[in-house]
Amino acid sequence: MSAYWIYFAIFFPIFAGVLLILAPVKKRNTMLVIAEAITIITAIVAWMLIINPPATGVVLFKFVDKYTISFKIDGMSRVFGALISSLWPLATLYATEYMEHEASDKTLKEKTFFGMYVITFGVTMAIAFADNLLAMYCFYEMLTLVTIPLILFTLSDAAIAATRKYIVYSLGGAAFAFISLIFLMAYGDTIQFTLGGVIHGEIPDGRENVLRLVYVFAFFGFGVKAALWPVNSWLPQAGVAPTPVTALLHAVAVVKSGAFAIIRLIYYCFGTEFLRGTWAQYLTMGVAIFTVVYGCSMAVKERHIKRRLAYSTISNLSYILLGATMMTPLGMTGALTHMVFHGVMKIGSFFCAGAVIAKAHKNYVYELEGMAKRMPKVFVIFTVCALSLMGVPGLCGFFSKWQLAKAGVESGMTMGYIGVGAILISALLTAIYMMQMVLRAYFPVEETEGEKCDPSWRMLVPLTLFALACILLGVFNAPVVAFLEKIAGGLI
Amino acid sequence: MRDFVQNFPLFSIILCLVSSSASSLLKGKAAKWVNTVLICVVGAMSLTLTFYCLAHGSFTYTMGHVPAPWGNEVRGGVLEGAMGTFFCLIMLLSMTGGRKKLLEEVEDTKQNLYYILVNLMLCSLIALVYTNDLFTAYVFVEINTISACGLIMIRQNGRTIEAAVRYMIMSLLGSGLFLVGICLLYDITGHLLMSNIKESVQALVESGQYGEPLLIAIAFMMMGLAIKSALFPFHAWLPDAYGYSTISSAAILSSLVSKGYIFLLIKIIYRVIGFEVVRESLLLNVTFVFAGLGIIFGSISAMREDDIRRMVSFSSVAQIGYIYLGISLGTQVGMVAAVFQILSHAATKSMLFISAIGLTDASNTSRKFKDLTGSAYRNKIAGMGFAAGALSMVGIPLFSGFISKLLFMQAAVANYGKMLPTMIVLAISTILNAIYFMKTVVRIYSPERDLYKGREGFKVIHTREQIEYTCTVILFIALNVALGLCSEPILELIGKGLEMFA
Amino acid sequence: MDTMFTLYQFNDRLALSYKIDRISIIFLTAAVILFACAGVYSCYYMKGKEHMKRYWIFFVGVLCIISLMACSANFFTFYVNYELMTLVSSPLVMHEQTKEARLAGFKYLIYSFFGAYFVLFGFYVLNKYCVDLTFTEGGRLDMTLVSGHEGIVLLAVFFMVIGFGVKAGMWPLHSWLTTAHPIAVSPASAVLSGVIVKAGVIGVIRAIFYLVGADFVKGTWVQYTWLILILLTILMGSTLAYFEKELKKRLAYSTISQVAYILFGLAMFNTTAYEGALMQFLAHAFAKCALFMIAGVFIILTGSKNVESLRGIGKKYPVLLWMFTICSLSMVGIPPTGGFLAKWYLIVGSLDTGRPNFDWAGPVFLLISALLTAGYLFTIVMRGFFPGEDYVDDGREKVKLPLTVYIPIGVLMLLCVLVGIIPNLFMGGGM
Repeated sequence: MSAYWIYFAIFFPIFAGVLLILAPVKKRNTMLVIAEAITIITAIVAWMLIINPPATGVVLFKFVDKYTISFKIDGMSRVFGALISSLWPLATLYATEYMEHEASDKTLKEKTFFGMYVITFGVTMAIAFADNLLAMYCFYEMLTLVTIPLILFTLSDAAIAATRKYIVYSLGGAAFAFISLIFLMAYGDTIQFTLGGVIHGEIPDGRENVLRLVYVFAFFGFGVKAALWPVNSWLPQAGVAPTPVTALLHAVAVVKSGAFAIIRLIYYCFGTEFLRGTWAQYLTMGVAIFTVVYGCSMAVKERHIKRRLAYSTISNLSYILLGATMMTPLGMTGALTHMVFHGVMKIGSFFCAGAVIAKAHKNYVYELEGMAKRMPKVFVIFTVCALSLMGVPGLCGFFSKWQLAKAGVESGMTMGYIGVGAILISALLTAIYMMQMVLRAYFPVEETEGEKCDPSWRMLVPLTLFALACILLGVFNAPVVAFLEKIAGGLI
Repeated sequence: MRDFVQNFPLFSIILCLVSSSASSLLKGKAAKWVNTVLICVVGAMSLTLTFYCLAHGSFTYTMGHVPAPWGNEVRGGVLEGAMGTFFCLIMLLSMTGGRKKLLEEVEDTKQNLYYILVNLMLCSLIALVYTNDLFTAYVFVEINTISACGLIMIRQNGRTIEAAVRYMIMSLLGSGLFLVGICLLYDITGHLLMSNIKESVQALVESGQYGEPLLIAIAFMMMGLAIKSALFPFHAWLPDAYGYSTISSAAILSSLVSKGYIFLLIKIIYRVIGFEVVRESLLLNVTFVFAGLGIIFGSISAMREDDIRRMVSFSSVAQIGYIYLGISLGTQVGMVAAVFQILSHAATKSMLFISAIGLTDASNTSRKFKDLTGSAYRNKIAGMGFAAGALSMVGIPLFSGFISKLLFMQAAVANYGKMLPTMIVLAISTILNAIYFMKTVVRIYSPERDLYKGREGFKVIHTREQIEYTCTVILFIALNVALGLCSEPILELIGKGLEMFA
Repeated sequence: MDTMFTLYQFNDRLALSYKIDRISIIFLTAAVILFACAGVYSCYYMKGKEHMKRYWIFFVGVLCIISLMACSANFFTFYVNYELMTLVSSPLVMHEQTKEARLAGFKYLIYSFFGAYFVLFGFYVLNKYCVDLTFTEGGRLDMTLVSGHEGIVLLAVFFMVIGFGVKAGMWPLHSWLTTAHPIAVSPASAVLSGVIVKAGVIGVIRAIFYLVGADFVKGTWVQYTWLILILLTILMGSTLAYFEKELKKRLAYSTISQVAYILFGLAMFNTTAYEGALMQFLAHAFAKCALFMIAGVFIILTGSKNVESLRGIGKKYPVLLWMFTICSLSMVGIPPTGGFLAKWYLIVGSLDTGRPNFDWAGPVFLLISALLTAGYLFTIVMRGFFPGEDYVDDGREKVKLPLTVYIPIGVLMLLCVLVGIIPNLFMGGGM
C-alpha cells in the first residue's frame, strides 16, 4: 500500500471534523451520520494500512535544522492504530445516542462535540504513526488542545475547573517531556524511533546521570497523560465530561497515548541498554508500582461510578508502565498486551456506566440497587467486563496479567516480584470495587421500582462487541501475544 | 565609491526626522498617511539593505567623509537590516491595529502630535539599530525615552500621567547609568566609535591594565540598559506603562522599545567590548540569575492579575527574561535564540495587546476577567488572535513560541553549567504560562449564556465594522505561524548576521 | 485411567485438560453424593422460597464446576475451576437477599479472591520453575532451574498454602467461613462445609504433592510454619465452637477445626498420615453435611437459631436427634465411625514421623480437640434427650417430617460410619 494513505488516515478526519464544525448542517441526524461515516472511513483506511503496511514512511515537512515531521507504520503503530481504529467508530456510534442525554441549551453545541471528537481521532492516529520524537511530541500537544472542548462540554463549574486542571497538567507535563527531546537531539544519533535506543556514542562523564535524570523528567512528563502518581489528579476530575469522552479518551485514547509515548521513550529513544539496572529504572518502576496500588485503593473509597472507574484506569495504566519499566522484551510484550486488553475492558465498563447514567440517571454506586432487573443486557456486559478486569481466567484480563507476571518473574529482580505482588493486590482491590457494584445490581436488599430501560441498538451493539472482545481476546490470546512478542523482538 | 544602497541607513534616519517635523504642521489625517508611508519606506529600505548585505557583506559608512576615529559612523549588516525591517513591520501592524482606539481616545487636535512621537520613536529605533558610535547611541536612547513617555501620556488621564512619570524616572536612571558607563569607557579607551573602542579594550585586556574600571564600565552600561528594558528587578514601571496607555502605544512599547535597548546591548557586547571579554567577566552569571527570577516572578505576578492588559504586561517581563537568559548563556547558539525570541516576542506581544483591546471593546471596555466571559464569540477575530498568541506563549508547536523554546533548550544543552537550571526554569515557565494564558482562553471561549443580559456595552462587533483591525490581526497570526513553521531561513539569516556583527 | 483429554489450548503453557486419578475419584465421590443429598433435602427446606430458578441453576452449576475441578489434569484447569466455583457459589450464600446475606456473600467473595490471588502469585512463580503444569505424582519441578532459587520457590509454595488455606478456613483467614456458612440457606451451608471448603484442601494436595513434589517441601520452614498455623486452627476452632451459642455458627467453627485435621495429615508428609487425611476428608464431608441439614430442620422446627432452644427436642423428634448423635460420634472420633479411623491414622502417622516436637504435639492437639468436640456436640444430644426438670415445652405441635428429610440425612450418616468399617471401598488403591 502506498505510504501516502498515511496522510489520509491522519488528516482526513482532522479536516473533515473542522468542516463539520463550520458547515451549516441543520438536521441532527445528518450531522450524526456524517460524523460516524468519517470515523468508519478513517478506520477502514487505517486497518488497510495496518494489515498491509507500506515499507517506507513519509516526511511531511522539515521543521528546524535536520528534524522533520515524519510518519511510518512500524509494529507499535500497528498495535496502537488497530486499537484506536477499532474503538473509535463504535464509540462514536454510542455517542450518537448518549449525547441526547447530555446536550442542552446550557452546553456547547453537539456539532462542535462531534467535530472535535472526530478531529481527536486524526490527532491520535498521528501520534500512533509518528516516526520520531519531535512529530510525536507535536501531535501530543495538539491532542491536549483538541480535547479541551470535549471536557469543557457541559460548561458547568466543575467542567471548567476540570478543564483548567487538565490543561495545566498536560501542558506542564509536555514541557518536561520536551527537555528529553532536546537532549536526545543533542546526544542521540537521531531522533527517529529505533528499537534499542539512539544513544550509542560517547557520552562525557557525569552526563550519563543527567541523561538519566532527563529520562525521569520525560517519564513523569508523559506520565501526566498516563495518569501516573503524583500527576494523576486531573483524571478523576475529568469524569465530569460526557461518558463518550471519559470512556474513549480517558480510558483509551488520551491516556494510552501517554503510555504509548513512554514505551516509545524507553524502548525506541533511550534504549533499554542505557537504562536497565540504573537508579532511573528503579525510580520509575517504583513509582509505577505505587500507582498500581494507589489507584485501586482510591477506587475502593470512591462512591461515584465514573470516578471509581477513572481511578481504576489510573491503576491499570501503571500496569502498562510497570511492564515497560522492566526494560526487557517480555516486559514490553506484557505492556502492549495490557494496553490492548485493558482498552477493551475499560471502555466496556465505562460505556455500561454511561448507559446507566443516561437511561436511569444514576451516578452513584449506592443507587445501583437492583438495576440488573431494569437493564439486564447492560449488566451482563458489565459483569463480563468486571470479571475480566479482576483477572478471572478465561477472559482477557487474566492473560494480560499473565504476561506481565511472566515478565516480572523472568526478570529476576526483586522489584519484579514486588511488581507482581502489586498487580495481585490491585486485582484483589479491583474485585472489591467491581463486585460491589455487580452484587448490588443483582442482589438488591429491597425491591426496586422502575421500568426496563435498556438502551437502543446504537449503544447496545458497541457494548456487546466489547464484551465479546473480552471473551474472544481471552480465548484467542495466543496469536495476539505472539504478534506483540514479534514487535518486542524487533522483527516488525 | 559606495553603492547607493549604502546610503539607506542615513536616509532612513533623516527621513524620519523630517517627517516628524513636517507632521507638526499637518492635520491628523494627513499626519497619519505620512506616518504610514514613512514606515513602509523605511521598512523597504531596510529590506533592500538586508539583501544587499547578504550578497556583499557588512559595510561601514562614515558620515560626511570625516574618517574614524573623529567622525561618526553607521554600520549596515544582515542583522541590522533584518531588525530594521522587522521593527517597521511590527510598528505598521501596531499602528493599524490600534487606529480605531487612537481616534477614540486622543483628542482631535492632538492626533498629529501622536504621529510626531511615533515618527521620532521610529527614528531612534532605526538609529539604535544602525549606529556605530556609542555617544550617538546615547543621544538616540534619550530621544527614545522622550518619545516613549509621550506615547504613554498621549491618552490623558491620571493613570497614564502617573505611569509616564514613573517610566521617566526609571528610564532616566537607566540612561544615567548608561552615560556613566560610556564616560568611564571613554576615559579608559579614549574612543567613541565602537570598532575603535573594541580594539582598545582588547589591548587593555591583554595588558591587564584597568581591569576593574573596565568591569565597572561594562556593568554600568549593562545595568542601565537592563533597567530600560525591564529586566527583573527593574520592571516595576512596565505594567502601568503598558497597561494604561492607548493600545498602539502599548503594542509599540512592549514589542519595540525594550527590544531596541536589548539590541543595543547585544551590539555593545559584540562590537564594543567583545564577546569573549564579557563572557570572562562573569557578569553574565548575574544577568542569568536575574533573567531566571524575572521569568518566574513575571509569570507569578501575571497569574495574580485581575485585568487582562496588566496580565499581558507582566507576561512581557517573563519574556524579556527569556531573552536575557539566551544572552547569559554566553554562546553563539544562545545569542541566536535570544535574537529569535526578540522577533517572536515582538510579533506575539503586539498581537496579544491588539486582540485584548478587541475583546475588551466587546465587553463594555471593561478589562476585568469577570466581564470577559465569552468575549471571543462577540469579537471573533480578536478571540482568534488572542488564542493564537496564547498558544504561541505556551509553546505549542506550529507557533513561533515553540521554536523559541526549542532554541533556548538546545542552547542550554550545549552549556553544561547552566543547563539544568535553564531547563527547569523553562519548563516551570511553560506550566505557569499555561495556567494563566489557557485559563483566559477558556474563559473567553466559554459561552456566556445571559451572564451579561441587560448590561449595556456588551455587543457583538462584526467584521465589517473593523476591517482594518481584522486585516491586522490576520497578518499578525500569519506572521506568527510563518515564524513557527518556516523558521529555518530566518535562523540562517540571524546566524549569518551575528557572524558579521562583530 | 491415565488418558488426558485437552479441551482447549490457551497458549503455550496454559491449557484446559482433564484426567481421572485417585484424588479425582475421592473428591468426585464426595461431591456427587453430598450434592445429591443436599438436592433432595432442598425440596423440603426451600419450599415456598423465592428465586428458586436462580437457586437451582447455581446449585447444579457449582456441582458441574466442582466435578470439572476434581478431574483437572493441570494447575491452570484447576485454578480456572477454583475461581469459577467461588463466583458460582456466592449467589447461594446471598440467596435470601437480606443485607446480612449480601454482606456475607461479598465477604466470602473477597476472602476467596484474596486466597486465589495468593495462589496466583505462587502459580506465576512455579510456572517458571516447573517443566510444565501437569499434575504428576512427585511433582514437576525443573531442578536445574530451581537450584540457587529455592528461596523464591519455597515462598511461592507457602503463598499457595496460605491461599488455599483461606478456602479451607485456616487461621488467620477463616472469618469468612463463620459469617457465610451460618447465613447461607441450609442446603448451601451443607455443601459449603462439606465440599466447597474441601476444594481448598484439594488445592493444597495438588499443589504440594502433584506440582511441586513433597520432597521439596518436607523439612523446610514452609512445613513448620504451616504446621503451627494448622495446630492453632485446630485448637481455636474447637474452642470457639464450644463457647458458641448459635447452632450453625457452632458447626461452622467445627468445620474450621475438622478441616484442619485434614491439613494436619497432609503437612506431616507421611504416608499413614496422608491416608488418615483422606479418610478424614470423606468422614467429615459426610458427617458435617448431615449435621448442617439436621440443624436446618431444627431451626425451622423451633423457629430459633440457638442451641438453647434444642433442649428437649429429642422428645418430639427422636429419629433426627439419633442421627445427630451418630454423626457426632464420627466427629469426635468414637469407633467404629469413619472419624475414629481417620484420627487413628493421623495420630499413628504423626508419631511415626519422628519429627522433633511435632510428632507429639499433633496428637495432643487432636486429643484436646476431640474432647472439646465432644463437649460442644454431646451437650446438644444430652440436653435434647434429657432436658432436665425445669424444661418447659414451647408448645409447638409435632410436625411430621417428609422422607426428603430423613433419606438424605440417613444416607450420609450411614456413609460416615461405613468409611470407618470398609475404608477400602472409598479410598481406592491407597490402603
